[in-house]
Amino acid sequence: MSEKHAANRREDLRLITGRGRYSSDNNLPGQLHASFLRCDCAHAEIVAIDTAPALKRPGVVAVFTGEDAIAAGYKNFPNLMTFTNKAGAGILQPERPVLAHGRVRFVGETVAMVVAESAAIAQDAVADIRVEYRDLPTVVDAEDALKPAAPLLHTSVPGNLTLEWDTGDAAAVAQAFKQAAHVTKLKVVSPRVVPSPMEPRAALISYEAASGCYDVYTNSQGIGMLRWQISALTGVPEDKLRLHLHDVGGSFGQRSAVYPEHGALMIASKKLGRPIKWVATRSECFLSDSHGRGIVMGGELALDRDGKFLAARYDFVVDMGAYLTTTGPASHVRNPAICTTGVYKIPALYANFRVALTNTAPIAAYRGAGRPDIAYVIERLVDQAACELKIDRAELRRRNFIPLDAFPYKTPTLGTYEASDFNGCLTKALKAADWDGFPQRREAARKRGKLRGIGLSTVIEGTAAGFQPKDQIAIEFDADGRLEVFTVALSQGQGHETTFAQIVADTLGIAAESVTLRQSVHGKNIVGNHTGGSRSLVGAGSVCKIAAQKLIEQARPLAAEALELEPSQVDYANGAYRSRDGAKSIDLLELAKQHAGASPHPLNLIAEASVAATFPNGCHIAEVEIDPETGVSEIAAYTACDDCGTVINHAIVEGQMHGGVAMGAGQVFGEQTVYDKSSGQLLSGSFSDYAMPRAGWVRDIHMNDHPLISKVNVLGAKGVGESGCTASLSTLVTAALDAVRPLGIEHLDMPLTASRMWQMIQQAQQPQQAKAK
Amino acid sequence: MTKIELTVNGTRHAREVEDRTLLVDLLRDHLGLTGTHVGCDTSQCGCCTVHLDGRAVKSCTMLAAQADGASIVTIEGMAKGDKLHPVQQAFTDCHALQCGFCTPGMIMATAALLKDNPNPTDEEIYHGLEGNLCRCTGYINIVKAVKQAAQTMK
Repeated sequence: MSEKHAANRREDLRLITGRGRYSSDNNLPGQLHASFLRCDCAHAEIVAIDTAPALKRPGVVAVFTGEDAIAAGYKNFPNLMTFTNKAGAGILQPERPVLAHGRVRFVGETVAMVVAESAAIAQDAVADIRVEYRDLPTVVDAEDALKPAAPLLHTSVPGNLTLEWDTGDAAAVAQAFKQAAHVTKLKVVSPRVVPSPMEPRAALISYEAASGCYDVYTNSQGIGMLRWQISALTGVPEDKLRLHLHDVGGSFGQRSAVYPEHGALMIASKKLGRPIKWVATRSECFLSDSHGRGIVMGGELALDRDGKFLAARYDFVVDMGAYLTTTGPASHVRNPAICTTGVYKIPALYANFRVALTNTAPIAAYRGAGRPDIAYVIERLVDQAACELKIDRAELRRRNFIPLDAFPYKTPTLGTYEASDFNGCLTKALKAADWDGFPQRREAARKRGKLRGIGLSTVIEGTAAGFQPKDQIAIEFDADGRLEVFTVALSQGQGHETTFAQIVADTLGIAAESVTLRQSVHGKNIVGNHTGGSRSLVGAGSVCKIAAQKLIEQARPLAAEALELEPSQVDYANGAYRSRDGAKSIDLLELAKQHAGASPHPLNLIAEASVAATFPNGCHIAEVEIDPETGVSEIAAYTACDDCGTVINHAIVEGQMHGGVAMGAGQVFGEQTVYDKSSGQLLSGSFSDYAMPRAGWVRDIHMNDHPLISKVNVLGAKGVGESGCTASLSTLVTAALDAVRPLGIEHLDMPLTASRMWQMIQQAQQPQQAKAK
Repeated sequence: MTKIELTVNGTRHAREVEDRTLLVDLLRDHLGLTGTHVGCDTSQCGCCTVHLDGRAVKSCTMLAAQADGASIVTIEGMAKGDKLHPVQQAFTDCHALQCGFCTPGMIMATAALLKDNPNPTDEEIYHGLEGNLCRCTGYINIVKAVKQAAQTMK
C-alpha cells in the first residue's frame, strides 16, 4: 500500500478529538425547542385533538396540529419515480400533510408539535395533548395490502397499489419456459430494516422575516437534493432556502428524503419568529426514519438440459409503507430493473413490480436500494438450480456468465453493462477462499458439533447513475490564495475530504494538504448529485480531475506572463510551470497567491461532466458455522474479490466494503423489523429489540481485487459504496443453507436469527431422530 | 434545581441544573462539550461514553447530580495539546472511523478497556465493545485500532 493509500483521513482529526459538527450540535440565539406527538395507533381517524392542557404548561410557546399544516398551504412530497403503468399513468402519490390531518396511517406519524423554551418542557407537554382516535382496520404486510378486501389507506390509491410496472418480454419468457428442460422456482423476502445511522435525525430551522428566507441546519446527503425537496414540499422557492450542512453521522439512504419534520419546523419558525430546534430520540428514529428493503420476490429460472439459462421471470411486491418517500419507489423498482439478468446471459426476461402501501413507516433508499434485493433473488435461484440439477455451483455460473467479448452488454431490460470479467473474479475468489479445501473444514466443524456451510455469489450492480444531468465542481482561491474545491456531494462517512483532495492534488502534482474540500456549501451556484447510489467518486470525483486539468490550462497564460514567455513556451509538471530550458519557473500555488484578493480570482473556475452509470461486480464467498444446540450462526470466513475499477484510496474502499458486508450480515443474521399484524404496533423499536451488528459479527474479510478500469469516467472508477451489501446477502444466506441442507432444510428466509435457525434445525432433526429410534 | 460541582477535563465547573438533567446534557448543553454524542435512549449505543473517576460510563444513563464531585474526562480531554492519545492515534491510523459519530464513545470505551486489560484477545475486545454500536465500519478496523493502541501503550 503506497503512502497515499494509507488511512489518516483529512477529516479524522476533528472527528477523533470531539470537534465534529453534527446537526444536534447547532444552536442559535433565542431558539425554541420542538417535540412531536406521534400517533400510537397504526390506522385511525382523528376525531378530536385537545391541545389546551399542553398550552397551559409553563414554558410552552405553541402547539401545532394538522390544521396548521393544511393552513400553511404546502404542496406534497415529491417523487423521483418517472415510470408509468401499462395505461401510461404515473405513480399515485398520496397526500401527506407535514402534521397528520384527519387520519393517521402508521404508528409514529407526526400528529402534533409542541414548541417550548426547552426540549424537556416540550417533551413533557407532548404527553399533555389528548387525541381521540377512531380505529380503522390495519394492514402491515404488502402482499396482504394488495388483496381485494384489504383495508384501504388512501382513497386516492385504489387497492393500495401506487404503481404496477413491468419490463421485459412476457411472451418470449413464456415461450422459453415451455421449452425448458428444468424450471427452478422460489419466493424469497428481503425483510424490512431500519437503517439506523448512529446520528439521530435533527434540524434547526430559522425564518428571517425581512428576506423571507429559511436557514436550515440538518443532516442530509447533499445540498441540492434536499433543497429541491424542501422547496417542492413547501412551495418556498429554492433561493429562499439557506441550507447549512456539516458533518453527517451516517446515512445509508435514510437521509436521501425530505421529512415532514422539516416542514413542520418551518411553519413554527415562521409563525413564532424564532429558531426552532428538534433532535429525534432513537425511539422516534425507529418509528419515523425511512425504513429500507421490504420486498417480497418471486423468481423463476428456466434452464435447458445443459444447464444454460433460457429465461427468468420475477414478481416483486414492494412495500412502501404508509406514504411514498422521494427515493423509495425509484430505488426499489428502477435499480433492480437495471440488473435483472445478474451476471448471466439470460436471453428472455420479464419482471413485474407492484408498489404497495401498508400501515407502516415509509420506506426509502437503503444502502444498495434494490440492488442487493435483485442480486439476492437471482443468486438464490442459481444456487437452487445448481442444487436441483446436481451441478457444481461455480460450474453452473461459469456456463452462464456473460462472456468477456459480449460487452458492452445490453440486458433484455434496462441495463447496459460495461466490461466485466466475471469468470476472472470467480476464479480468483475460489482460490483465495480455498473452495476446494472446504470439505475438510466442514468435517472439522462436524467434529466440534457445528454445522458448517459455504456459499458464493457472483453479482453486478448498476451504480452511480445519479438523478442530476451533470456534476459540477468549483475551484476557487481564497483571500490568501489557497485552493478550495467545492462539491455538491456531501460525505456521511465516505471520506470525500481525503479522496477528492487527493484527486485534485495528484492531477496538479501538488501536496494533498494544499487542497481543501468544501462540501454542500450554501451560496455556491453549482449543480450536481447528492452523495448516494455510490455516485460521488464516479461523478464529483471525476469532475475533480477534470477541474484540476482545466485549472492547469486556465493558469497557463498567467504563468507565461509571469515568466515573460508565450503560453506555448511553458510546460506544466509537478505543480509548476517551467520554461523549456528549465531556467525559469513558477509554482501554480505561488501564481495563485500573486493574484490573491482579485475579485473574482482569475483562476477560479467551474468544471462539469455528465458521467454515466458504472457496474461494479465481484464474487464473494463465505463460510458460516451454526451451532445446532443454540441456532447461533457465526461467519467463519469471508472472502471477496471485487472489480471496482480504479481504486483511489485503498483504505477507504476496504472500509466501504467492511461496512457494506457488515450491514449485509446484520440483515442476514439479526435485524428484524417487526410490526404486529393485528395492531400495527412496531415491536422492534429500540436497539434493545433490534439486533444491530456488533463487534465480532464480521471478524475479517479477505479482500482481493480484479479490476477492469471503467471507460465511462476519467478516473476509471466504479462506485463501490454499496457492493458489500449487494454481494453479502446471498453469499451469507446460501452459506447457511449449505450448512443445514444435509438436515433436509431446503429453504431459508432472512433474518437467520438464532431462534429461527434453532427451530428449523430441531424440526428437521425430529424425523431423523424418530427414524433412528 | 440541583447545584453540582465537578471537574471536566481538568477544569472545575459549578452549575445549577434541573434535577432531571442527564450528565450528557450537562456536558453538551451547559458546558458546550459537543464531542460527546447521544445516539440512543436505551443505553445500547455507547456514543455518550465518558470517563468518570477513571471508569467508562454512559453519560446518558446517569443524572448530572450523580456526577457531583466527580472528575470527568470527555473526548475533548484525551489529547495532550497536539499529542493525540494513543487510542485516538490508532483510530485514525487504522481507518477505524467513517462518519465519526460513534467514534468519541468508541475511543473512550477502548481507553477504559485497555486500562482494565492492557493486552486483550479478540474475544475480549468484542466483549469489551459490546456496549458500543458502529454502523459504518463493520468493526473490523476498530478491533485493529484497539490492538494497535494496546501495542503502543505497552
